[in-house]
Amino acid sequence: MDERALIEGMARGDRAAFREFVEQYKKKVFYLALDMVGNAVDAEDISQEVFLKVFRSFATFRKDAKLGSWLYRVTYNASIDHLRRKEFVPEPVGDDILESRSRDDNAGLPHGGAVDPAAAVESNQLQARIARALEKVSPQEKAVFLLRHYDDLMLKDIASSLGLSIGSVKSYLFRAVRKLQKELGGSPLISGVEASHD
Amino acid sequence: MISCRTSKDRMIEALYGELGPSEKERFDEHLRSCLDCASEYSVLGATLRVMDRRERPDPGPAFWDGYWDRLSRRKVWEEAGESTRTSLGARLARVLSKIPRWSYQAAGAAALLLVGVLIGSRLINTPGGTGRVDTAAGSITPSGAVVQAENYIERSKVLLLGLVNYDAATEDAYAFDLGGKKTMSRELAAQAPAIRGALNARGQKRLRDLVSDLEVIMMQIANLGSGQDVEGVELIKQGVDRRGIFLKIDLDRMGRDARGPVDPAPPAGETKLPKKNKI
Repeated sequence: MDERALIEGMARGDRAAFREFVEQYKKKVFYLALDMVGNAVDAEDISQEVFLKVFRSFATFRKDAKLGSWLYRVTYNASIDHLRRKEFVPEPVGDDILESRSRDDNAGLPHGGAVDPAAAVESNQLQARIARALEKVSPQEKAVFLLRHYDDLMLKDIASSLGLSIGSVKSYLFRAVRKLQKELGGSPLISGVEASHD
Repeated sequence: MISCRTSKDRMIEALYGELGPSEKERFDEHLRSCLDCASEYSVLGATLRVMDRRERPDPGPAFWDGYWDRLSRRKVWEEAGESTRTSLGARLARVLSKIPRWSYQAAGAAALLLVGVLIGSRLINTPGGTGRVDTAAGSITPSGAVVQAENYIERSKVLLLGLVNYDAATEDAYAFDLGGKKTMSRELAAQAPAIRGALNARGQKRLRDLVSDLEVIMMQIANLGSGQDVEGVELIKQGVDRRGIFLKIDLDRMGRDARGPVDPAPPAGETKLPKKNKI
């Protein structure tokens, strides 16, 4: 079912259309919420709230707008509300792993498909490091970065989804990447690039 | 040729391939002649490549397969809750709209008459003449306090049984409905002080202590975290076990069964209660 048919079906209150809509977008909504709040149970709760809200307030949806953009905005707002309710405090992720990483400065980055224990440890280290770096980014910067980098939304679509100007989106994204670079500065890949320019 | 400022302004678009061909050509030309901008572009690009290696945890096929069912159930429950609230209000409005205006005036007059009769009877009655007492928590007779406490214990027991029998590993978290249990616990915790306050007669200490224990547990349940808070539920289960709550509830029931029906209200004028509770 294409987006137009989906919108028309949902406007009629067609349950099958709503189900199709949920099936199409459940992963995107869940993962955006998960990336924003960092907890799978809360992310599912938020994603369900989002779909129910969309279902109930579908009459307010402008038929010429993009369904995905609207959905991202509702998810983003629901996640921000959740973080405000919880008085969000970033959790340090995998300190033990990071400590062991700092003791082994010669460890390189993992290579795809590695299955040996050393590679698995390295992969975990990298994941912990990335998670920690993402925690340093503000919710707005994070949302913009996640939508551009992992959901492949164009800057103008992010602006439309989050109700921001393109200038703000570029600014948030630039700040996010800069912060990530600062946090991941010790990563051999980035250090190597930095060293080559010194 | 573009300036460093313009280059920085376009860096994000360049990194994500959103520059048009002519813009990209001018941007590249600048990088060839500016080591600082070239270095920054290179480092930010490397950062994005590291971020490409990020792995998102997958909840697994069972999670995704059951997603629609869980969402549908939640929708049904929420709509059922809303329709109950709506239908109660709507029914009341419908009933009120059918009543003729003269009947409001008649009802008002009857209410005034009733208030007058009640005030009169209070002024005429001798102290203790009705056998009722005002407790700090409201008007509850001694036998009424026991009935309320029993009712409170039964409701708490039902809620606790649902909680201790829940197994997060095998049961559906939404069927468990922690949100509903938290709401009910909050209500029970709010009622407990009044019931405890009324249980001040001799021989009611054990019952009062049991209500106190339950009040603490109800407050713990009411304060569980958002989501399913599996760890919090486990702690409460341990608390229920440690305090021997179900044993106490069973002992209380056995004691009441052995004594027979709830203590009758003492005859008028014979209520022995602390002075502060007397009218």
